[in-house]
Amino acid sequence: MSHTVITNNFAEQVKAIPGGEMLMMCFSCGTCTSKCMIQEKLEPNYNPRRLIREAVFNFEDTAFSDETTWLCTACDLCYPACPQKIHISGVITAVKQLAVAQGRQNPYQTAIVDETTCVACGLCVQVCPYQAITLVEKKVPFRGFISVAAVDPGKCMACGLCNAACRSTSIRLNQDFNDNHVVENLWSWLESEAV
Amino acid sequence: MVDAARQPLIEVKAYTEVEKVEGFVGNFKVTLREKAKYVRADRCNGCAACAKACPVEVPNYFEMNLAPRKAAYIPMSQSVPLIYNIDMDACIHCYKCVEACGALEAIDFSMEDKVIEEDIGAIVVATGFGHFDPTPMTEYGYGRFPNVITAMEMERLNNSAGATHGRVVRPSDNVRPQRLAIINCVGSRDKRYNTSCSNFCCMYAIKNALLLKQMNPDMDISIYYIDIRTPSKGYEEFYDRAREAGIKFIQGRPAEITEDPDSHQLFIKSEDITLGRVIEHEYDMVMLNQAAVPQPDQNHMSSVLNVAQSPGGWFMEYHPKLRPNDSPTDGIFFAGACQGPKDIPASVSQGSAAAARASRILHSDTWQIEPTVAVVWPDRCVSGKGQACGICERACPYGAIDYTKGLSAEVITAKCHGCGACVGECPHDAITQLHYTDAQVLAQIRTLLAVEPEKKILAFRCQWCSYGGADLAGTSHFEYSANERGLRVMCSARMDADLIYEAYRLGAGAILYSGCHPQDCHYITGQIAGAKRAARLEKMFTRLGMSEGRFRTEWISAAEGDKYARVINEMQAALDAIPEEQLKAEIERLKPEMEKKLTKLNEIPGVEEAMIQVDFIVNEMLNKAVPV
Repeated sequence: MSHTVITNNFAEQVKAIPGGEMLMMCFSCGTCTSKCMIQEKLEPNYNPRRLIREAVFNFEDTAFSDETTWLCTACDLCYPACPQKIHISGVITAVKQLAVAQGRQNPYQTAIVDETTCVACGLCVQVCPYQAITLVEKKVPFRGFISVAAVDPGKCMACGLCNAACRSTSIRLNQDFNDNHVVENLWSWLESEAV
Repeated sequence: MVDAARQPLIEVKAYTEVEKVEGFVGNFKVTLREKAKYVRADRCNGCAACAKACPVEVPNYFEMNLAPRKAAYIPMSQSVPLIYNIDMDACIHCYKCVEACGALEAIDFSMEDKVIEEDIGAIVVATGFGHFDPTPMTEYGYGRFPNVITAMEMERLNNSAGATHGRVVRPSDNVRPQRLAIINCVGSRDKRYNTSCSNFCCMYAIKNALLLKQMNPDMDISIYYIDIRTPSKGYEEFYDRAREAGIKFIQGRPAEITEDPDSHQLFIKSEDITLGRVIEHEYDMVMLNQAAVPQPDQNHMSSVLNVAQSPGGWFMEYHPKLRPNDSPTDGIFFAGACQGPKDIPASVSQGSAAAARASRILHSDTWQIEPTVAVVWPDRCVSGKGQACGICERACPYGAIDYTKGLSAEVITAKCHGCGACVGECPHDAITQLHYTDAQVLAQIRTLLAVEPEKKILAFRCQWCSYGGADLAGTSHFEYSANERGLRVMCSARMDADLIYEAYRLGAGAILYSGCHPQDCHYITGQIAGAKRAARLEKMFTRLGMSEGRFRTEWISAAEGDKYARVINEMQAALDAIPEEQLKAEIERLKPEMEKKLTKLNEIPGVEEAMIQVDFIVNEMLNKAVPV
């Protein structure tokens, strides 16, 4: 059996980012995990408690490839339930920021901007709860040097608010959650026997 | 309890409230309110005829409101003394009890509360603890879901004298539960409610689980826990027995309880930490092992007894390790959970110890107290000359100073705890504290600042906290600036403004004003007085244009050695940041300001002689090249 010695200071890095300060206070009671809607409805392997322990013990790579890092929507259902008053989504966001800073890609698709139609009205910037969208000046094929919306994949949590708010359907989620797919799902649900 | 009541030297005063405690060790005057029971103690024989005749039923508090009681009642079947009581809030004045009592004529509706004053030598406080009400924790549904009960309710259900005569049943349908869950740490180890661990609940959960399992071997019992704490003798073995008996232990704090509204079955969702998976189990009944919290009237008792409270609201002991039985007030002792949650063996030990310590006082003709008491110089006190003052009386946290206009203030030595708050506050320097007289402290300041004062950091430390912090910094090898010069007084309240002025007049580079955190103060409100003065001084020094960092106020506990070292190092850095010429000019500029405030210093008895001696000693030290 091989022994691993981890020498990085990942926990310190997480603690240094606003939101991650309370990292070491976790006593691993598991309230956050059992409170979590993503764990219950989407991904059984999702576990904020485990992610915090990975961060505490400097398991940087494990933390970066953990689903928990990328799937948290910062709904903060766990925050008021935590007996240690740890802002858990703050810790997760800190881990995610470090992952993005090291060039990790979000394995789940984030919002996509259609730069050929975006008019840079800024509506999506206003509605985004995670401040993931900014307006940038860039060169767009056939349109020249113009201002368009840009999504920061490190911050985007794929909630779809921008998709719903956009008046020119220039920003959307991936194929499972785009407008057509949602409408199709709605129809099939309305026609189902359950209704 | 029955044994205690039979002992001829013990008088039990049931249904009596302590209204006022005056006096001091060995000579307390305690005012008691003996509440009217409307039943005469000398005639009642406890036959219960009145309770049988009484037509009024109200919820029984002792049974956790699971059963009714009559308006004529005893609180519990083992009540001592066994005298019935009529609850006037519930009584409808039908006088059926009077009829039932008959020739005994024990019931007397004309009784009134009796206020009596007793001479008491020593007081043992054993007021116990209260229970955390889990209703605010909506996630557990207590109060909404009938089958979620508290530990105390389970205790009454499981008691053969209780509401169900010992049959444990579901409140929703009176059926014996097959699957029972116990949730630990409800309201304890929870920063939203009570940060502390309630000490005994792990063992309590195991005890209840084992008891139920022994009576109902087919019952499926699970205990949800964060950590199981079984630190005392035989406790781990008991935990083992529970596992042997088949009780399941699930590590994981449940996030939520949900209920099927038709069957009232309960579902607990929690993460099983060891599996790393979220599990949901179905139960017939859930017991919430709620936190131990201070009694609801603990704050009131604390002001009646004049004893401080620790963080969390428990009564504060004199010293957490060395004098855990004693209150900070001489002659008042604590027994049991009123001082902090503890289990039965610990409460019994503390009770025995408190009784032994109290009897030391009762068997002594005289009592030794700490020698650092305050003394008034009657010829300097302006009250004696007819001026209205009384500042010292208001400053004293113990009510140990008698101030009457026209007479000089007087210290009741037995009540004085030697904090020196009166000394620090007296504007006429008419009070001094033995062993910390102005002359003595001033002599220390002058010695410490004899050489190159502008490079020195003078640290005023309180005896109990920041001095301990500095001590810890030393024993823990935390390095801090060698220019620090420490000076001990009993409390931050003793750090007289005159002492600070004198230090600056002598040219001190920086001054640290340090003491306990407000909740830790050894002298109830001493730190508050000290903090107020420090804030006042800080404001004044800013107005006088003193450079930033030359006066600093910090509250440092005896456990914060690292903080002490850090504060001193930060002060050194702040001092280094001021150019030397500028610092010297500033000291010279402020000197006359300080002198203006110190005109009467040499009038204080002993100061002038002390200063001559200090100069002599310092000269001797310099001659012999002893580092100063």
